[in-house]
Amino acid sequence: MAEYWGVTVADIFNSMPERFRPEGARDVAAVFGYDIKDEGKWQLTVKNNSMALEKTDDLSCCVATMAADGETFVGVNVGKVDATNAFMSGKFRIEGDMVAFGKTGRLFRKFVLAGKGMTTREYLADMFATIVPRFKAEEAEGLDASFAFALGGADGGQWSVFIKDKACTVTTTIEGKPTVTLEFNDARDYVDFILGKIDAQSILAAGKAAAKGDINMMASKWPLLFEKYKDPLGGNVKEQELLTLKKTISINQRFATGPVMGKFLRGLKDKKIYANKCPQCGRLQLPPREVCAECRVRAADFVEVGPKGEVRYMDVVYYAMPDPLTGVARETPYGSINIRLDGCKGNETLPHFIRKDQIEKIQMGWNEMQGTRVRPVWEENRSGDIWDIKYFEIDE
Amino acid sequence: MAHHKKNRNVGIIGIGQTKHSSHREDVNQPELIHEAVRLALQDANLTMKDIDCVVHGNMELFEMVHQPDLWHVLGTGAYGKDCIRITTGGTVGATLSCASDNLAASGMYDIVMAIGFEKLQEGHTTGGITNMADPLWFRKIQAGALTGSSAYDVEREFGLERANRASLTYRIIMDKHACLNPNAHRAFGLEFSQIDDLIRTSPKLVGELKLIEMCSQSDGACCVIFACEQKAKELAPTPVWIRDHITVHREETFNIFGYDRTVPVIKTHKFAAEQLFRRNGIKDPINYFDVFEMYDPATWWAIDWLRDFFALPGDEHLKLVENKEIMIGGRMPINPSGGVIGSNPIGATALIRVAEAALQVRGNAGPHQIPTPVRHALASGFGGTMWTVMTMLENELNW
Repeated sequence: MAEYWGVTVADIFNSMPERFRPEGARDVAAVFGYDIKDEGKWQLTVKNNSMALEKTDDLSCCVATMAADGETFVGVNVGKVDATNAFMSGKFRIEGDMVAFGKTGRLFRKFVLAGKGMTTREYLADMFATIVPRFKAEEAEGLDASFAFALGGADGGQWSVFIKDKACTVTTTIEGKPTVTLEFNDARDYVDFILGKIDAQSILAAGKAAAKGDINMMASKWPLLFEKYKDPLGGNVKEQELLTLKKTISINQRFATGPVMGKFLRGLKDKKIYANKCPQCGRLQLPPREVCAECRVRAADFVEVGPKGEVRYMDVVYYAMPDPLTGVARETPYGSINIRLDGCKGNETLPHFIRKDQIEKIQMGWNEMQGTRVRPVWEENRSGDIWDIKYFEIDE
Repeated sequence: MAHHKKNRNVGIIGIGQTKHSSHREDVNQPELIHEAVRLALQDANLTMKDIDCVVHGNMELFEMVHQPDLWHVLGTGAYGKDCIRITTGGTVGATLSCASDNLAASGMYDIVMAIGFEKLQEGHTTGGITNMADPLWFRKIQAGALTGSSAYDVEREFGLERANRASLTYRIIMDKHACLNPNAHRAFGLEFSQIDDLIRTSPKLVGELKLIEMCSQSDGACCVIFACEQKAKELAPTPVWIRDHITVHREETFNIFGYDRTVPVIKTHKFAAEQLFRRNGIKDPINYFDVFEMYDPATWWAIDWLRDFFALPGDEHLKLVENKEIMIGGRMPINPSGGVIGSNPIGATALIRVAEAALQVRGNAGPHQIPTPVRHALASGFGGTMWTVMTMLENELNW
């Protein structure tokens, strides 16, 4: 059997089962024929998202048949022969239902020469060429959006993907005002990102890429709108599927407070804040702990402090921290403050939250500078818990 | 002080590490550990038969597996061996090293294998860290390991501009080191010319602490084999000697936010370093040590801590960073491996510091080996609420 560019006609047919894309075959139920001069005839049956291929002598039952010589057939499949030119010059013909045959284009992933990698340019061409076949119209109900890709470097380029009226089109320009624009300094990073070799956070953190516009649309909607891109090179070697098992663990827990912390929490019910005092160094602990961590002696004396005080430190948290007790992420940004309540000194501060809308107004204090004065806002029904104080607010 | 007097000397004779990565979904936990164990045994030219005791550690809450040492037996090779499981703060790895050193030094075992491991991809690190806090009060308010307080401290003392640039300089130096380390998780290829851009564009996490300045969450394992002096000399061409180690831990809460200069907080790093150097007669640590593998969870902590560890006056610690003296080839190379910011499989992280410091002493760290001979190396661990572990390594038994 003759070889063209190191590939035989049989290589193309033999790899079809591995290159088959069930997602591209959802609306196809037909038998297609291939008549390759001097090589033989093949019959491809596509039905119920699956395919069957057999070598045959009789292609009379096919809805459409492609006839070509071996060189043209291999050339078109490996990308060495331009399909349109070959068709126009009569090097291959379609007999039968041409529209039906057109659907075979999205049934298979690209054939890749064994042992030869794909360049960044080839990957980009394949990635954007398969966008329309990978589009899931049913996810685009009522959506009118455009995704722009500006990929830099020698192999880069520009692409736009438009989605409107449940249809998807791709252009090689960026026009108008895209809903979201993804910029990569180097197109190679984009290819690696799509192939799952590097993660988005790493690239963004390193300043190698940027997302502008409705980033949420790109992050949450794009994966629903399109079938995942499959690496054509991955198709030639059957990989083992990586299984991960997902578990969500949520269990009620109860903790005994003990007498020292218990006294403190009990105090909150009466809107009183108690610290305990080290008999040796005089330091106050808030919330109280049984033993002074400096002197390692029992600290049994309680004193009432606050409830007002000054802010000595504030962390403005932008990271959506999950509350470990509920799993619900806190709304950001929020201000986590350390308050030196009246009656306390040095580093004897109490941690809590500041009222959300007052973050901007907080001044942190130290020796020469008084911090913003704050007071607790109490919950009406108190149970002896940290949330008996809803938050602190500026004492005006 | 008699407490650090050893019954016999102990040397490191085998080191193994996995590739650290955000996703090691190609292997399960025992398989991941097995990679490091196999490499360490190969390095020491030993088999599991030669190991007397296995010390295994990770942060149990991070993978939500109880008694992981049992599940991991196929990977650790601990079947039928004496085995101890250890969990401390982020310091687990350093504690594994201390425990292994003590077990061999005591005479109880001749050859001890320490294994640190974490597969953070399989748990919820931030959730895990938050769950470790006191459940009655702090668990409900703390933000895991994220805090901007160090950034605030450095900024207030040296100004926003200088502080930010020092922080990013440190970050880029670590990235340059990570790029030389084939095991590193994050190696971006950052350039110093990006400093201004990164200050502007990197998303903020807490206060002035930005995403680019915080350590990663990694999957990975590290294995180090310790042997008593006699065995180490018999088995290894270049054992790395453990001179001393120290652990200092404060109270269970972060009561350090009063900012009152008349009542200064004694930081555990400073306290530990002073104790360790004093009892070993080291007066000028920055000139004594040839390399320091420091547990640096974020750039701000790192630049601030240099001052504590080396007792540096004024802005000497910032100058070390600004003048790039902490780079490989500089006056005091910090983390030739790329450090914690480069790779952070937490239960392994502090053991990696010891392992990497030992590799530098042996002189076979690979592309990130520092060019001049390393005779004295320092490694640190950090975790929990100001939990410090420091380990001193030497190439000769001559102290």
